[in-house]
Amino acid sequence: MKPAGQPRELTVDELVRYGPLSVAQILVGENLTRPVSQVALISELDQVRLCGPGTAIVLSGGLAHGAWTVESALRLAWERSAACLVSPSVAGLTQTTAQLARRMQLPVFVVDGDMAACTVKLAAAVASPEAARARLAAHCAELFTERSSVRGIVGVMNSEVPGVTVALVASDGHVLAGRASAVDGEHAVRVDVPGPEGHRWADLVASVAGPPSPTWSETVRLILRLARAPLAASVAKDRIRAVHDAERGRVALGAVLSAPDPGLGDGTSGHSPAAQDQGTEALVEGQFGWRVEGRHVAVFLRSNSTLATATAGPGVVSAWQETIGDLPLVPWETGWVSWWSGDHIDEQTTVTALRRVLAQMRSPVHLSGGVGRVAQGAQGLRESVSQAALAAAVTVRQGHGTVRSFDELGYQVMLAPLSQSDLVSSAHIILRDLLTAPDGMVLVTTLAALLDCSNSTSQAATRLGVHRNTVLGRVERIRARGVDLDHPDQRLGLHLACYAVLPDMP
Amino acid sequence: MTGRFLSAADVPALLAGAEFFSTSAVEEGIEFAGVWLQDVLTHTGPVQLVAADELDPDTLCVAIGAMGSTVTMSELPPSGDEPEMITRSLADRLGSPPAAVMPLNAANVNALYPVAAAAVLGLPLIDCDGMGRVFPLIHQTTYELAGMSLTPLAIVSTGHDLTLLETSSTRAERIARSMARAAGGWLLCGMYPGPARRLREAAIHGSVSRVLDVGQVLCTYAPNGVHARELGDVAPWPTPSATPTRDPASDGRPPGPHAAHRLTTTPIERLLRALSEVTGAELVGGGRVMEVGPSVGQAVYPGNPIGTVVHDQDSGHLIRLEAYTELLLALTDGALTAAVPDLICMLDRGALRMTGPERLTVGDQVSVLRVPAAPVWHTAPGLALAGPRAFGYPLRHPCEEGR
Repeated sequence: MKPAGQPRELTVDELVRYGPLSVAQILVGENLTRPVSQVALISELDQVRLCGPGTAIVLSGGLAHGAWTVESALRLAWERSAACLVSPSVAGLTQTTAQLARRMQLPVFVVDGDMAACTVKLAAAVASPEAARARLAAHCAELFTERSSVRGIVGVMNSEVPGVTVALVASDGHVLAGRASAVDGEHAVRVDVPGPEGHRWADLVASVAGPPSPTWSETVRLILRLARAPLAASVAKDRIRAVHDAERGRVALGAVLSAPDPGLGDGTSGHSPAAQDQGTEALVEGQFGWRVEGRHVAVFLRSNSTLATATAGPGVVSAWQETIGDLPLVPWETGWVSWWSGDHIDEQTTVTALRRVLAQMRSPVHLSGGVGRVAQGAQGLRESVSQAALAAAVTVRQGHGTVRSFDELGYQVMLAPLSQSDLVSSAHIILRDLLTAPDGMVLVTTLAALLDCSNSTSQAATRLGVHRNTVLGRVERIRARGVDLDHPDQRLGLHLACYAVLPDMP
Repeated sequence: MTGRFLSAADVPALLAGAEFFSTSAVEEGIEFAGVWLQDVLTHTGPVQLVAADELDPDTLCVAIGAMGSTVTMSELPPSGDEPEMITRSLADRLGSPPAAVMPLNAANVNALYPVAAAAVLGLPLIDCDGMGRVFPLIHQTTYELAGMSLTPLAIVSTGHDLTLLETSSTRAERIARSMARAAGGWLLCGMYPGPARRLREAAIHGSVSRVLDVGQVLCTYAPNGVHARELGDVAPWPTPSATPTRDPASDGRPPGPHAAHRLTTTPIERLLRALSEVTGAELVGGGRVMEVGPSVGQAVYPGNPIGTVVHDQDSGHLIRLEAYTELLLALTDGALTAAVPDLICMLDRGALRMTGPERLTVGDQVSVLRVPAAPVWHTAPGLALAGPRAFGYPLRHPCEEGR
């Protein structure tokens, strides 16, 4: 056993990937993960018997007697558990020899030229594995500078570091780039990767083949650490591009939605409003690939947190594009706007499609959606966006993934502003007598149901799923706390207060 | 006296046995020598085969053997006068004529020429030889190992050029080989003259009988061979009621001498068993020929090195055979399993005849046999003279492992 701290031996695979065997012809590439402990130049077959396990056996040119020599050496090398066999180019070396080597699972390489020189190079590499690994790390670092994408940087490690699979894993376990098998690897090396803000953004996970070795793990860790800065830079670049694109999109959408109505033109300008409108549409179509003409249904996404809407914008847009890349998603006021286009598009289809998208999206914040009416052209789109935003203002109170259309909600969209905090605070003050009761929320719910059902206790009982007598009992308790259900002047205010207090209504 | 006589009827068996002990005989064809020997024996009558022990210890014996190219022998066959010229030359030198003839090596054409020499000279043939197979040099013999002198070496060519060489074995070999090239391609030689008492230690006894016995076995089993037609009274094939099936317990090896299921074994298995009983042959393996092609060899001897690979489907082993006129090495999965001076030979499993690399094509089915050499060949001097290293292979013979 090697004492702790001693450099781990190079494997045959490492010698092939970045060592002297990189120029050798691989006759048989089986079992390349064997460690190489020493190198022996053999001029007589009997010398193979003196080699210890893990030796890279190099046959001298004087042993080039034919395929039988190589096979004989192969057999002896196999008996000694050699790491690999390096043979000079020998006449008659055919697939039969390769077949034998495959059966013995012993790697065999053929080298043209001076075998002694090959042996010296191998011995130098094996004697100083750290030097070879430093070259590997330097090679990877050089390649990192040539890659600009996250996928490209992770790909360098997967292709250049032998016996290692690497993945970039988000904090929720989602594999952002690389090979997913790395996550489940038995021997993993993990390095956290900071985002542009300097906080931990993701993890680089490398799965090392074979038993763990401190020095090899350190080499892999070094390469992973070398990748952190390029990854952070790449992510920052992506973020900047996302923010830039979002701002451009916001301006462009503003231009589209604020274009004057063709019917309202005063005719005094040098350019007619219709001509300006068409110019804007052509611009956004050309630069953003948006379809503004034709039949649309707008959708509006909202988060229940204003702060999240501000900070999670790039993440939401990125997740949207991952899920449904051919439709725009533009930051707009309190959320994000998109629209489905097509000659046969309708609201219900859009609602269904948006629900599916929200279910699939890996959004950093919880989102709900509203869907506007079918509209024509840019002017229609403006109206459809407004309708969708109103619908979203309602659905955001109903939880993540809720999608409803403007028409489905009807006049309930008027209740959307009830989620504003000052209204909610006022409602809690107004209904304090009820809310301080032990079953305060039950009483408020019952009160809202009664008001919805025009004071019909039987309808309210059906709606609440309780017996009418239960409703009657609650009504008595409501009245006992000073609430008058019958006063016409108070009914609207009381009704709105109930809705403001109950977050999931309607 | 053994009382055994060799007649013209024994020639087919002698030919088949001579092929068993020499792969080059299979490839080059030695039937011409059989025809000639049959003709000689028809005229002279049978030759008496005697053991060396049966002779008076002072009996002067001489080894007879041909050297050179078998192909040129078939084009320029012997006239029949050559043995007499040799004995006359040796008698002049030694003061008395040889009273018995022994083979240089009982294999290839040299299993037949000593019989012809004994026949024309009217002398007994000693049941022994000096190689037990074919080696390329005439001094690679057990006679040499025992200290007998190759010379005086009497050589005669097809043109009846007669020479008597008196020098060291190595020089005699070189000079004679040069003369063979100059004199038509081959020579008949009389050598190792000496009293019969020396043969007790120096010879491999029973060699001629063994060739005959092996030949008898092969002639019995070769279904289409010329020898079988001439013997013609033994049916080697099983009867329809005893359809041959492979014995799974045999695992590709020849069954033992007391195998009970004689009728349930295939002809090839029965033939291998019979050869094993007669010669002590062991099965190295057998299967499909995967590769036949030129190999790399040391320029020690004339000839072309050929490599052959046989895939033993039963065991999965790859058997590589290296040939230099004769089969010299057998490596199973790279491990040396048989090597010169042991005899390595191949049996065509379809034709039930001996075969060699130059006769094979990819896809043929063969069995590879190893016949142990005489114990004297496994001694250090024996291996030095005719072991793998003597043929330029940097290998130790399997019997040297652990020494």
